[in-house]
Amino acid sequence: MKTADRLTQWIGKTESFKKLSTLPLNFVLNFVLIVPFAIMIFLSFTRWEPLSGYDWWHAPIAGVPRFVEAFGDARLLWALIRTTIFVAVVLPLEFLLGLGMALLFLGDFRGKKAFTSVVMYPMMMPWVVVGLGFYLMFQYYGPVNLLLLKPMFGEGGVIDWFTNAVLAFVAVMIADIWQWTPLMFLIIYAGLAAVPRRLIEAAEVLGASSARIVRTVRLPLIKPLLVVALIIRGLEAFKVFDIVYIMTRGGPGVNSTEVVSLYVYNLSIVYHNTSYACAVSLIIMIGIALVTRLAIRPLEVRAE
Amino acid sequence: MSEKKETKQEVSRRDYLKITGGAIAGLVVGGAIGYLAKPTEVVGPPPTGVTTQTVTRTLAETITWLPGMGVSERAAAGAKQLVASGAVPAGATIKLLHVAGSKNNFEPFFADWEAKTGTKVEVVTLGGEPDVLTKAMAEATAKTGAIDIITIFSTWKGDVIEAGLAKDLTDYYNKYNPEYGSQYPDTTVIEPLADYTTMYKGKRYAVDLDADVFTLTYRKDLLENPDYASQFKSKFGYNLKVPDTWEEVKDVSKFFTDLNLKAPDGEKVYGGYFYADPGWAAFTTWLCIFVSKGGILFSPTDMKAMINTQEGIDATQVMADLVPYMHPDALSMDWASLYKRYSEGKAVLTMAWPSLIKWAQDPSTSQIVGKSGSALAPGSKVTVGGKEMLLKAANNPVNWIGIVSNYSKYPELSYLFWQWVTSPVVGAESVSRVGIMDIFRECWFVPPYRETFEKAYTPQFLDVFADCIAHSFPDLMIKGSSEYLDKLTKNVNAACVKAKTPKAAMDDTAKDWEPITDRLGRDAQLEAWKSMIPLYPADVQDVWKAKGYLS
Repeated sequence: MKTADRLTQWIGKTESFKKLSTLPLNFVLNFVLIVPFAIMIFLSFTRWEPLSGYDWWHAPIAGVPRFVEAFGDARLLWALIRTTIFVAVVLPLEFLLGLGMALLFLGDFRGKKAFTSVVMYPMMMPWVVVGLGFYLMFQYYGPVNLLLLKPMFGEGGVIDWFTNAVLAFVAVMIADIWQWTPLMFLIIYAGLAAVPRRLIEAAEVLGASSARIVRTVRLPLIKPLLVVALIIRGLEAFKVFDIVYIMTRGGPGVNSTEVVSLYVYNLSIVYHNTSYACAVSLIIMIGIALVTRLAIRPLEVRAE
Repeated sequence: MSEKKETKQEVSRRDYLKITGGAIAGLVVGGAIGYLAKPTEVVGPPPTGVTTQTVTRTLAETITWLPGMGVSERAAAGAKQLVASGAVPAGATIKLLHVAGSKNNFEPFFADWEAKTGTKVEVVTLGGEPDVLTKAMAEATAKTGAIDIITIFSTWKGDVIEAGLAKDLTDYYNKYNPEYGSQYPDTTVIEPLADYTTMYKGKRYAVDLDADVFTLTYRKDLLENPDYASQFKSKFGYNLKVPDTWEEVKDVSKFFTDLNLKAPDGEKVYGGYFYADPGWAAFTTWLCIFVSKGGILFSPTDMKAMINTQEGIDATQVMADLVPYMHPDALSMDWASLYKRYSEGKAVLTMAWPSLIKWAQDPSTSQIVGKSGSALAPGSKVTVGGKEMLLKAANNPVNWIGIVSNYSKYPELSYLFWQWVTSPVVGAESVSRVGIMDIFRECWFVPPYRETFEKAYTPQFLDVFADCIAHSFPDLMIKGSSEYLDKLTKNVNAACVKAKTPKAAMDDTAKDWEPITDRLGRDAQLEAWKSMIPLYPADVQDVWKAKGYLS
């Protein structure tokens, strides 16, 4: 046996070597994840901020009151409501648009590869670039007004998007939908393309229309994939920060478009209210974990 | 042929937990060893300066080994002496944390510093200004000593000092004398700028790098147009001129907006552009109006928020009244949009940092070169002792200052670099370069330095700006200033976009400010606020006394 083969065999057999080889990665992951997480939990039970003038490990324990304070925080509640509205609007729209595009792309047509690449571009752009682009586009003298609304509706059709809370929020949603519909398209298209051709042909032979085939053959077969796509995209949408920060900074006015991530950012970075920010983050994390657990139950039931 | 049986080696849950537990235990042991091994940090109590109603200055002792030297020479000689005495190793490097995009103010001088002192400077830049504060507060918590000196906004001074990051430089001021103070008429930083940018609770914690005093910038070609002058006179009953009051600003802005003039690119010309967006509204435009009306932010007796007094409501009303005559970008775009729109000729009156005039005079960025004038910020008519007077006070938002980290290995050397690069001789070159710094030493307004600065600004601007600095007042620089100003600026913007009435906006802000004060410690905040009051211009303090806000 060659030396290399002997060495490979020895490595494959040695249990300790395998375990030891995972140790560096475990070390890094645990250090990067667990240690800051443990500190965050500790701080959420204290009253500490950098302006206190003493180190965080000397912070006095405050116990549960920080969490009680969070549950009575109207600004947090409104941030949660806005974030929920944001997810409830963008998620179905991204799903439906992604599904529609995926169905359109199922067949072969000229330039399909090029079009597919173009469709994917928004998803590849950094959030900051997208946020800045749409921020400029929706300005009073921006292209949305000057190239779209003004030619269609005249001077009266020009909208000051960022001085109205609802319109500003709509602009943010449009930016998010533009950027992340391609992700839904990608996942759904991959699923639809993997549906066995014989099932489609069988349905066609039996006289089913295209719409019926989509409804009764394709979609049911890719249902687990759709659930995963919705969960992934839903979680990401809940964490939205960059485009809101760039486009509105939570305004206009007082926090009218402030989402949960932006509120936690303001608490921790702008206000330096670190321990309260930790408490709020922990509450939100537990909330998301519970919701996600409920969301994946259909998958678990199916697996059983 | 024998089949290779691939044995599926799975790591069981028990084994995984063992390995992970071992990793964490190793971490804890290592961390404990590291913690016990490092020298004990003295976590001192927050600084407790003595609150005085007057600012005391200590004259520098004559340093016998630095006779007859200027500011930069003393700094360089001091650095050389530190190296010679072994306090600092030769070739030691100072790390400077600075905002990206303006290394130009410092980097070209590093080689000269190294040649003169035998030590080096290295600049570390971050993306944007908020990133610098985030990094500074992270350093205040982590105390790594990785950064020696930091450029920060004056707004953040209270935060970085109370967090224990900024070193008290009073002893270095006394030892090396950067020449701040009225006993040095030829070289001083113009007061009250020198004091309010560098002092906190009676001690020096920073060096001044800048003068971000707001000036009124206007289209002098339009204001001096005889046709417009006669139309304005017949409409408003007084002569068209550079506005002295905010009421006149409103009249002039309305007049030019209604004229429907066209900018060079064909878009509409608006009468004004004053910051009213959710990021800048409060401590740029609003604060200037508020202080000129005799408003005071907090009570000097119990730290109660006083922004919802009549002065605060009136200031907010002025801004809300200006909105219809302002470029729409003023309500939502970021600070740079003002520069762009004004330089495109789309606003007649505006108020911004000194760098605006540089922008407006540069043919590569401006379509109105040679058409701008500068003036002291408009004021308000107030009654003092039964007599009506015009109170003008220019705000100075986000003035750049330099601090030395408490955790720096070479704090004295770091201070000396700051003194050197902001000295009259070296500073004349560093400040006049394109970047974030603006002119602040009195000697730079006169020959021989004036010529250098006239190339960057305009002669008329220089004639006016020294007076603006002398009438300037500080940012809110106490602990938690970012939070106070965040609440205020959003409410001011809410009033400007008609989401709230001015009274509701100010009442809501006052309601939001009280818990901040309570959380940060009312007594400590009061002490800091009382130490800031003497740093305001004398005529502002007189108005406060006349209104009964100050005893």
